[in-house]
Amino acid sequence: MTDSARLAPTAGQRIDRSRPLRFSFDGDQVDGFDGDTIVSALYASGRRTFSRSFKYHRRRGELCGCGQCANSLFTVDGHPGVRGCGEPLREGMEVTHQNAWPSLEFDAMRATDLVGGPFTPPGFYYKTFIRPRKLWPVYEKVLRRAAGLGRLVSRQEEREWRTEYRRRHCDVLVVGGGVAGLSAALRAAELGADVVLCDEDSEPGGRLLIEGRHEEARDLAARCREAGVEILSGAPALGFFDELVPVWQGDTLHQVRAARHVAATGSLEQPLIFPDNDLPGVMLATGALRLAALHGVRPGQRCVVAGVDDRALEAALALHRLGVTVSAVADLREGADGEAQAELEAAGIELIRGAMPVRAAGRKALEGVSLACVDAGGRALGTPRKLACDVLAVSGPPAPTSSLLLQSGVRARFEESAGTFLPGEAPPSIEPAGAVAGHERAELARLSGSVAGAAAALSLGFGGQTGRKLMEEERASLGAATETPNRAKPPALATDGASGKAFVDLDEDVTVKDVRHAAAEGYDSIELSKRYTTVTMGPSQGRFSQLAAVRALSEATGADLGEVGMTTARPPWTTVPMGVLAGRPFEPARRSAIHDRHREAGASIRWAGDWRRAYDYGDVEGEVMAVHEAAGLIDVSTLGKFIVRGPDAGELLDRLYPNRMSTLKPGRVRYGVLTSEAGRITDDGTVGCLDEETFYVTTTSSGAGAVEQWFSWWMASWPELDVDLTDVTQGLSAVNLAGPGSREILAGLTEADVSAEAFAYLDAREMEVAGVGCLALRIGFVGELGYELHCPAPQAAALWDAIAAGGARPFGLEPQRILRLQKMHILVGQDTDSEMTPYGANLDFAVKLDKEQDFIGRWALERQAEEAPPQALVGFTCEDGAVPTEGAAVIDAAGKVLGQVTSSRRAPKLGRTIGLAMVDPSLAEEGARITISDAGARLSAAVTRKPFYDPDGELLRS
Amino acid sequence: MRDLFRKRRMWKFSSELKKRYDVVIVGGGAHGLATAHYLAKHGVTDVAILEKGYIGSGAAGRNTTILRSNYKTPEGARFYDASVKLYEGLATELDFNLLFSQCGHLTLAHTDRAMFVMANRAEVNRLEGIDSRLIGPDEVQELAPSMYVGSDTTYPIMGALYHPPGGIIRHDAVVWGFARSAWEAGVELHPYTEVTGLRREGDRITGVETAQGTVEAGTILNCTAGWSSLLCDMAGVQLPITTHILQACVTEPVKRFLDVVVVSSQMHVYISQSDRGEFVMGSEIEPWTTYRMQNTLNFLQDLTRHTLELFPQLERARLLRAWAGLCDLSPDYSPILGRTEVENFHVSAGWGTYGFKAAPIVGKTLAELVATGRTPDLIAPFALERFYEDRLVSELAAAAVSH
Repeated sequence: MTDSARLAPTAGQRIDRSRPLRFSFDGDQVDGFDGDTIVSALYASGRRTFSRSFKYHRRRGELCGCGQCANSLFTVDGHPGVRGCGEPLREGMEVTHQNAWPSLEFDAMRATDLVGGPFTPPGFYYKTFIRPRKLWPVYEKVLRRAAGLGRLVSRQEEREWRTEYRRRHCDVLVVGGGVAGLSAALRAAELGADVVLCDEDSEPGGRLLIEGRHEEARDLAARCREAGVEILSGAPALGFFDELVPVWQGDTLHQVRAARHVAATGSLEQPLIFPDNDLPGVMLATGALRLAALHGVRPGQRCVVAGVDDRALEAALALHRLGVTVSAVADLREGADGEAQAELEAAGIELIRGAMPVRAAGRKALEGVSLACVDAGGRALGTPRKLACDVLAVSGPPAPTSSLLLQSGVRARFEESAGTFLPGEAPPSIEPAGAVAGHERAELARLSGSVAGAAAALSLGFGGQTGRKLMEEERASLGAATETPNRAKPPALATDGASGKAFVDLDEDVTVKDVRHAAAEGYDSIELSKRYTTVTMGPSQGRFSQLAAVRALSEATGADLGEVGMTTARPPWTTVPMGVLAGRPFEPARRSAIHDRHREAGASIRWAGDWRRAYDYGDVEGEVMAVHEAAGLIDVSTLGKFIVRGPDAGELLDRLYPNRMSTLKPGRVRYGVLTSEAGRITDDGTVGCLDEETFYVTTTSSGAGAVEQWFSWWMASWPELDVDLTDVTQGLSAVNLAGPGSREILAGLTEADVSAEAFAYLDAREMEVAGVGCLALRIGFVGELGYELHCPAPQAAALWDAIAAGGARPFGLEPQRILRLQKMHILVGQDTDSEMTPYGANLDFAVKLDKEQDFIGRWALERQAEEAPPQALVGFTCEDGAVPTEGAAVIDAAGKVLGQVTSSRRAPKLGRTIGLAMVDPSLAEEGARITISDAGARLSAAVTRKPFYDPDGELLRS
Repeated sequence: MRDLFRKRRMWKFSSELKKRYDVVIVGGGAHGLATAHYLAKHGVTDVAILEKGYIGSGAAGRNTTILRSNYKTPEGARFYDASVKLYEGLATELDFNLLFSQCGHLTLAHTDRAMFVMANRAEVNRLEGIDSRLIGPDEVQELAPSMYVGSDTTYPIMGALYHPPGGIIRHDAVVWGFARSAWEAGVELHPYTEVTGLRREGDRITGVETAQGTVEAGTILNCTAGWSSLLCDMAGVQLPITTHILQACVTEPVKRFLDVVVVSSQMHVYISQSDRGEFVMGSEIEPWTTYRMQNTLNFLQDLTRHTLELFPQLERARLLRAWAGLCDLSPDYSPILGRTEVENFHVSAGWGTYGFKAAPIVGKTLAELVATGRTPDLIAPFALERFYEDRLVSELAAAAVSH
């Protein structure tokens, strides 16, 4: 067999016989040529079974030959789901079958087909293993083991496949490289447009390549390239996302943003439905042609073609010309084309009119076919004629490949004359061309491509009058030449009446009977039928089953095809590896300008929102004590930092903060809490007045982005305010120098007077520190005398070094959390939740209801001021030394939840456990006892309302 | 089982509307159908379900089928726990296998803050008698051997909230099971019957307008999820709801690989593997409001990149299909359930991403409300009035992604 496996070389073939390639299939060495696909090489080696089906584990062979079907899904070099009939062969590829055990030739799970019987109707699993309930999990395990196709490695530590994004802007994107697409691209480029063309096949040309018109295709492609068209081959367009079209090519995801699109996506020949239509050897006529024309592989020794229109006759002749023995062609039409008939006669191919296959026969592969005339219901009239053959090339009515158009919002309508669904009117930025627009024949497709390409270019201002005139002429001749195809309508199922499964959907093993059965049960719309039988839901996404399913349902329900309709087209058009969509592993992290210092100092670095921050420097208690006893230094560059400037800056802040900010004197700082319109805390920070029209606003680290949006939103709503907002979060760094020794250190680094009198608590001063221009704020989040120094980020490391050299010990986030907890300084988001009000968080001092302005949240805060808050934030101490988990619940005697622990730490200075908790206001009394439920354990704690450390703030002010 | 050997009609859709029904349910999704099922148990069967598409065509058929009850608030946890318990017995009750797989649900924590939120949820859940606990990376690895749990990743896994009764179910089966039960009890199912208006006189709705005619109803239930604020508008009822899309996708089926539901709030992904072998993945709600159910490329890119952080070996797994659905988001992420100011017009709305999880308990409690006229205690906290009284039930701080 292998001797005659290959046809004689012809110019149209893609294979290079001087470049043999060797690869392995299930461990066997197989030879092929450069230019083969996996399937064409395997086919040439005599193999006919390429996979086992999803449910019944039936043999499946070559079908489409172009990477669109799910009949030859392989695992290649460990990667599952590779389309073998589209995947170019490479030297040394390791190809293995999927979904068969122990082997592709002998598959134990085949029993599901043979025993089958009642266990195979659609949705059988909904009707079984309901009682007893306990048995279902056991059975489910069995089901789960049986499901799935390919196998993934069980563990992998990181991504191994380097994929890339590429962004491409162009004037016109042409999707599809058949004759229509090439003509469109050529015309648009000739008129001066920047054109990208993408095509799924490994070379452009589409059907021309297999119809003996390869020279024409290659010439057209060459002219496109000369005209400057960028041609992407092996590159399916995945979807239409608001005019952004991702195109997958190998390791790259091209994100093409074009001003105009030409959809020249062609059509897909459809299978015919008859019993055992899935036997290896039953394939699409285009599939057989691709094997022969592109890969020089003989599809079989004896071939029968069956179809519904001229395409079948042309396919038979094309196969014959390529040296394939075609014994007969069955044409479902009663009266067929005269010209072709003479040619068929001359070629010795018998033309059988009005007939179609009513059964395929064979054990492991096709051995013969029964042909018969059928009635409207598809039943064979008279005794079927049996023909021996090993290939049955079928050519059902083609389905326009309209997914991309439909994704763009175009609606499909059923076209009676074409026997298929055609896309309706497209939006102005998209020009359909070729078969998808109903122009099936190559000459018409070429014309329609030219018109579409011209229309796209002209609408962008290219081309001028001559271009327009030419387009109008071509459009007129296209209109004149348009013809409705002479095509027979195949029945939902053609059968000789004997048993056997006739598949509507090969991916999912759904038969005509299944669809009927489901319809009879009530699943009588296409969507319900799809969801119940899973028809069209497999890896080939309904490409070869949608029309058949519609036909089967139409027959079962009596609704006509248009009424049945199609299911929604969803992206992606081609199943695409997740790695391609993901692009490079890329997780942006923000780091302060001083980050390297922390790393060098051996800090443990962790996420804090989007930032990477120093958590500690290895000695949390030591760092805490350094701040208490001498001086500490922490990088607080992550704080949100904004300059609010303009005559109405104070007014803006008064409207956004419940506090009064416009009254701030230059050189003074005030705490401010931000609330939502519902009076809930959203962020907090400080506002410093630099001069009457300039305020320096800081926010929490994680809230900076949201605050920026919040301010901007309101500024846009209040155009009457003359004020600007500048985000300087990245441009400025900040460090906090804190501790009793901090004044001395600062004094040693600056000429400015930093005495307690000259630079008092809540003062803001611009000063030079260690030669770095800083804005110094005397504020104290950590509760000791302290200075927050803000400076340009590029100089921050120098500032840091100078202060550290002055004797301040770096401390991290964790020591800072302990220190601020001692002061009951809240962390928004940790000690507050989405419902916490300023009153609940003891921030009454930051709400000024006597302000004259209306401000955000005022109505809510006025109401809140009059009643107890839903939750109150209180301090607590645990005497027995236990440190409750943050998040532990506060409960009453009956176990009812009354609140939660929001912060808790052991404070080294105080030598005890301190914490904050949100509790029911009834518990918010000094000395009240609360019970904490922590992972089931009960802890007792006492409520404290005053800060644990320096309750009157003497140290802060010192 | 015996249904295997015969064709048992699931339902027969009605096309003619009667002049009047005791109850008209707008929305033929999981909530509407469940309510009809439970109404029948109260003897209320003069019921019509009006659905603008096919049954289960909205959120019921678009969600990622995850069930759980490990909510943050005691009110929420109690409510969803009742729902999971009903789901556990539903296959038997409906005589239809819903393929409920209580495979366990993991919410990963990658930061201190997330650990804190998980600890709080675990504690609240435990106090409500719900199996839910904080576990460390080692146990996470045992439950999901295929996931990479090393400390050298961008977002190391510090721990997870483990909720053993959580899992996945076949969403369509839930719809069909309820639909059959309702139909067998005499409820009329009207697919492709869109409500175009509601006639209100004073505090009552007196007519429900559809393209197929106007009907009267004793009680009207709004079970339209993503469209609920539009329907409420027709009744002159204001809902504090914004409508957003939520996107999801599925891969080609591969052999069994992951047996638990994995959620990462920080990375905005949730992942499970269906009984068919497909990976079902979803992301967070899109921040903009829209009724346009279309996917975005950004979604596919971000989702796949994040999924591959957890499962690098999925880089060659192929994405098969993506889709989007509508979410009706309430200000506190808790539902709006029960009465409105219109006395014969009740709502089930404000579900955000949680609606499907609540279907049976919504059906049961709404049916009770309709049949007895009393609001069940379980849903009292979710009344629409809470927004006027400022008594929110906030699930909000729980997580950005909350499946």
